[in-house]
Amino acid sequence: MAKTRGNIGDLERSVMEALWAIPDGASLTVREVHAQLAEERDIAYTTVMTVMDRLARKELVHQERDGRAYRYRARGTRGEMTADLMRDTLEEFASHDRRTALAAFVSDASAEDVEALRAALAKLDGA
Amino acid sequence: MTPLLLAVLAVLFAGPVPAVLARLPWVRRTPVAALVLWQSVAAAAVLAALGAGLALVTHHAWRRAPDPVAWTVAVIALGVTLLVVARLLLSAHRVGTSLRAIRRRHRAQLDVISRAGRTGGRIRFIEHEVPVAYCIPGFGGQRIVVSEGARGVLTPDELDAVLEHERAHLRARHDLVLEAFSALREAFPRWVSSDAALREVRLLVEVLADRVAVRAAGRQALGRALVQLAEGRAPEAALGAGGNDTALGGGGLLTRVELLADPRPRRVQAALLSALAVGVLVLPTAFVVVPWLTALRP
Repeated sequence: MAKTRGNIGDLERSVMEALWAIPDGASLTVREVHAQLAEERDIAYTTVMTVMDRLARKELVHQERDGRAYRYRARGTRGEMTADLMRDTLEEFASHDRRTALAAFVSDASAEDVEALRAALAKLDGA
Repeated sequence: MTPLLLAVLAVLFAGPVPAVLARLPWVRRTPVAALVLWQSVAAAAVLAALGAGLALVTHHAWRRAPDPVAWTVAVIALGVTLLVVARLLLSAHRVGTSLRAIRRRHRAQLDVISRAGRTGGRIRFIEHEVPVAYCIPGFGGQRIVVSEGARGVLTPDELDAVLEHERAHLRARHDLVLEAFSALREAFPRWVSSDAALREVRLLVEVLADRVAVRAAGRQALGRALVQLAEGRAPEAALGAGGNDTALGGGGLLTRVELLADPRPRRVQAALLSALAVGVLVLPTAFVVVPWLTALRP
């Protein structure tokens, strides 16, 4: 089924996947990414250009000029970008005294804390 | 007299009252009423501080024939009051802007690297072995994030409990309460505003979200989920600074599990704390308004 109006998030992910699929250090133009995406869906060149521009502004892809066109590559591999995000997240959780942008379910607990928690949980199960 | 009384109230509500309130663990058993009380203490502190300044201004400037000394006092009082207002607004602006920027960046990156849950776009799973679960609050673009590491250690009913807990945060907009308390804390130097309020409010919103999750998934499931995820994170915490008094770390977690064991409703306590919350707000208001009303009398 040709998706004519996929949501922008899906489109961003598809573009990132195209960029993650090429070898390290290589880059793609909007035309090349559009050619790939157009195999699976009905999509305008300008839409792909807009999406890639947005990704560049969000600093998720690097944009570099090559003659008259721009070439794009992902900021890192998928694994690297996931690790980056996780590092930010854990730092955010560790900053107890500051304002918190993310709401963690649990944050830090030492081994002794976990012992005490297990004991409290045992009481809960028995209750 | 009025300016002095208001100033005393402002100091009391900013320092000693929060310090005492934070040392009463039973207050947390009625989290809604407790949260209301904390908010009204904070509002009363600000109200009393501004009221003290304004009372001083009107007291000295609205005389029949104000002398230069009275004028000077009035102008200084007005200046200080305006400074306090400016600091509050600036702090709220700074905190809000920075939180929105961090969340926007985080969400942009999250959205490209994560997979959507089956139920739709708001729940996202990330491919990472460290067990974490959290939510990104805010207008437009709330997310609940669960790592594969967390999915690996949680049973389906425990995962449900976690998701319910996060949904409760997002639905009730707990982030706005925390944002207000962060702004208040950062508006004033350390010796004026204590950490007690922010820390306690953080714990209370967790207790509230826990209660919602318990209703949906059961307290055993939630309790086990808390312990499972805390255990998975323990090696890292051992490396970093152990935050023992925090809402989400060791001490706070223990409090949360202990509160799960005691879910009885406490209507009398809730009613008393709510009444106290109203009283705390009425007190400074009365001090500001009553002298004006008497002054208006012919």
